[in-house]
Amino acid sequence: MTERKPGVRASLFKRHENLTVLSIFVGFVVIIVILQVIMTGGHRFPTFISPVNLLNILQQVGVPGIVAVGMTIVMISGGIDLSVGMLASLVSIVTASGISKWHLGVVPSIAVGVLSAVALESVMGYIISRTKVEPFIVTLGGMITFQGIALLLCNSREVIMNGELDFFKLNLIQGAKDPVSGLNLIIPPYVLIFFAIALLGGLLLNYTKYGRRIYAVGTNPYAAYLAGINVQNMKLSVYVIMGFLVGIGAVMLLSRVNTGIVTLGQGLEIDSIAMVVIGGTALKGGKGSIVGTLIGVFFLGSIGNAMNMLRLPSEVQFVAKGLVVIIAVTAGDVSARVSEFISRRKELRSRSATGRERKVRLETTR
Amino acid sequence: MRRPTLMSQILQLRNISKTFPGVLALQNISFDLIEGEVHCLCGENGAGKSTLIKILSGAYQPDEGGEIIFDGRKVVLNPRLAMRMGIQTIYQEHIIFENLSIVENIFTGSEIVKRGLLKRSEMRKKTVEVLKYLKSDLGPDTKMGELSSGEQKTVEIAKGLVFKSRVIILDEPTASFSSLEIENLLEIIQTVKNGGLGIIYISHHLEEVFKIGDRVTVLRDGRKVSVRNLNGLTKPALIKDMVGRDPSTFYQRERVPIGEVIFEARNVTGNGAKDISFVLRRGEILGIAGMAGSGRSELMNVLFGSARLEFGEILIHGKVVKHSSPRSAIRNRMCFITEDRQNTGLFLPQTIAQNVTVANLVNTREFVVRHANDARTGDRFVKLLNIKTNDSQTRVVNLSGGNQQKVVLGKWFNTNGEIFIFDEPTLGIDVGSKQEIYKVMVDLLKQGKAIVMVSSDMPEVISMSDRVMVMKNGQKMAELTTDEVSEENILTHSIGDKAI
Repeated sequence: MTERKPGVRASLFKRHENLTVLSIFVGFVVIIVILQVIMTGGHRFPTFISPVNLLNILQQVGVPGIVAVGMTIVMISGGIDLSVGMLASLVSIVTASGISKWHLGVVPSIAVGVLSAVALESVMGYIISRTKVEPFIVTLGGMITFQGIALLLCNSREVIMNGELDFFKLNLIQGAKDPVSGLNLIIPPYVLIFFAIALLGGLLLNYTKYGRRIYAVGTNPYAAYLAGINVQNMKLSVYVIMGFLVGIGAVMLLSRVNTGIVTLGQGLEIDSIAMVVIGGTALKGGKGSIVGTLIGVFFLGSIGNAMNMLRLPSEVQFVAKGLVVIIAVTAGDVSARVSEFISRRKELRSRSATGRERKVRLETTR
Repeated sequence: MRRPTLMSQILQLRNISKTFPGVLALQNISFDLIEGEVHCLCGENGAGKSTLIKILSGAYQPDEGGEIIFDGRKVVLNPRLAMRMGIQTIYQEHIIFENLSIVENIFTGSEIVKRGLLKRSEMRKKTVEVLKYLKSDLGPDTKMGELSSGEQKTVEIAKGLVFKSRVIILDEPTASFSSLEIENLLEIIQTVKNGGLGIIYISHHLEEVFKIGDRVTVLRDGRKVSVRNLNGLTKPALIKDMVGRDPSTFYQRERVPIGEVIFEARNVTGNGAKDISFVLRRGEILGIAGMAGSGRSELMNVLFGSARLEFGEILIHGKVVKHSSPRSAIRNRMCFITEDRQNTGLFLPQTIAQNVTVANLVNTREFVVRHANDARTGDRFVKLLNIKTNDSQTRVVNLSGGNQQKVVLGKWFNTNGEIFIFDEPTLGIDVGSKQEIYKVMVDLLKQGKAIVMVSSDMPEVISMSDRVMVMKNGQKMAELTTDEVSEENILTHSIGDKAI
């Protein structure tokens, strides 16, 4: 794509909304790889894109990714959920306590953990759907409340388990080696669960009546109401789904660290919202997709990883992550303006051409 | 500045026209305002009153060739300049800061400041002075949100006096007033008028016009019909000026044989509608006429279940139905083409196919939606309704007003409804699309469906309706049969003061 064919570029980016952020992502990967090649003098394969590291990134983004799928649905409906991080902490403490303190057994403990998340999200969803209070406020309150409940449950201490959930981090491709580094390749089940959930979420949004209604409610709640959609229940339902996904995500997280602790889900809300927003989902609702969110998940996940590869201090990661969020969201707007500018210039230029030609061109741009 | 002599002209408009794309809103209007007079503006909905006010307040610029003369000098207005020169416009909708006090509301944007600090005492003093002058007992520190709409109007007028306005424009000031509040407002206007200000007063209520006005200018279809002294003028004479189109130029509709009653409202009350009864038969259009704010759309919302029915009954096919939400109304095969299509009828960023299929989701059983089926449905309506676009995958936001309205129609046709409520079916739509929509409406009648049509477009009401119900203040004023339907009859009932 060169400067000589601006028209093609603008329309292509307009038609495929995810393309802008995807190209930024690709650009980012290319830069990191080039930096690595330069730093190693070109003697070694860039470790950033080695299979073992790619799988590593997948492991890191699995849990935030599951939550981000839920967040996408919530945000398309016009809502937001700030409580997911603390809720995940709460679920981890409930599940860990169930296993090691209350001796409920593994499966019932997981069930109790997930159900408590569903129940608490349902309460928030009920308040959000039945009143005019902003979801931001309700879930902010939820976040603080869940932190309190979590601390009460564990007496402000951590709940240690004896690896009862280790089957979630089994390596599914035991024995496979990375051809580049010779290290073991690892794919744990929760990575697959993440992909399964993303797939289901994508299908739900795109190919079901339910998904159709979510977009309608997010785009224009009153018009949706007049079209016979039960807007209140739709709004409630997205938080129920969110609760279920946070519950699952929290159990996965717990299996990785083996300890139920109140800091476990810290920052999960920030990360998942950032992922969703990078993926082009609008804060005001009605717009967004799981595909976009997946790009956001991998993008945000690879930033921290890349910084480590380049041996940059962890503090820099926050700066980079923040900048990426801003760049990704601004890029869409900027590219729209650029294409507008280009089409205006084109129009000006064609004004010197014959009037007929101009008319045709204008019609096609419309 | 030269001090104007008593009874001099403050404001004069010469040859003012205003065109919007496809619409000539005002045509060669001349108008003048004298100190110490109340000059009323009358005309039907859409006669051009609001456009004229927006030109006076600087919100719109007149077309080339028009002149605005203020205090003997030609001016080009913008909202800020108009205010600085002393033209204060008080719109129908209050533009207020609810959480701020009366003083703060008056001075926000033009605070009195000394060395960067607010001079509260001086602002307060000025406010108290003016409120006293207006014989109002409002406390200057009362929060604006706590006031009734009548009191809020008083504050807005007070603001005009604080800033020494020369002209006050009041657009439908009494729209939601009690009769006592109207009295108070008229009294205040009298006081202000005696102080030598010029007042432009717009109202649908002829009683007020006759009570307070000195002169009246009548507009019709963007043209000035007359300027008259109100002294000695009669209501019928004024109404005659407001009507007077040639009915033979109206759209000629095909008549359809009328069948049995399929919808009936009995004493319907709620959402501002009071005790409304009517029947609707297959193959007919019942027009609902009335001035803006007469409660017509509010009544439609009650019928469709999107506002609460407090009292009365709705019958479909002779059976009483309860509509707790639009969902049940749609299941009873009702359709509601709303007035504000962009905000209440459409999902603008979505495609035609998605918009067309959304209302019928209530009636479908399948959980999985197939994009191919939706596209087919969308394409079918694109063709049927002659929507100008390539295919049904176009986003609705990119369509023109007329085509958007056709998408709304498609959305409802897809539900297979039979009782259609059209609220302003052709508002803001070009002439060509208008005719197409009329044709579609007649086609519905031919299929044995029935239509309730709210419209402020007088030719539309007269040419399309089989019967016309006239509303005022949420009440039914009259029901006119085909023979009785005329501009004069409709207007007399919608602005007159007699109820049946």
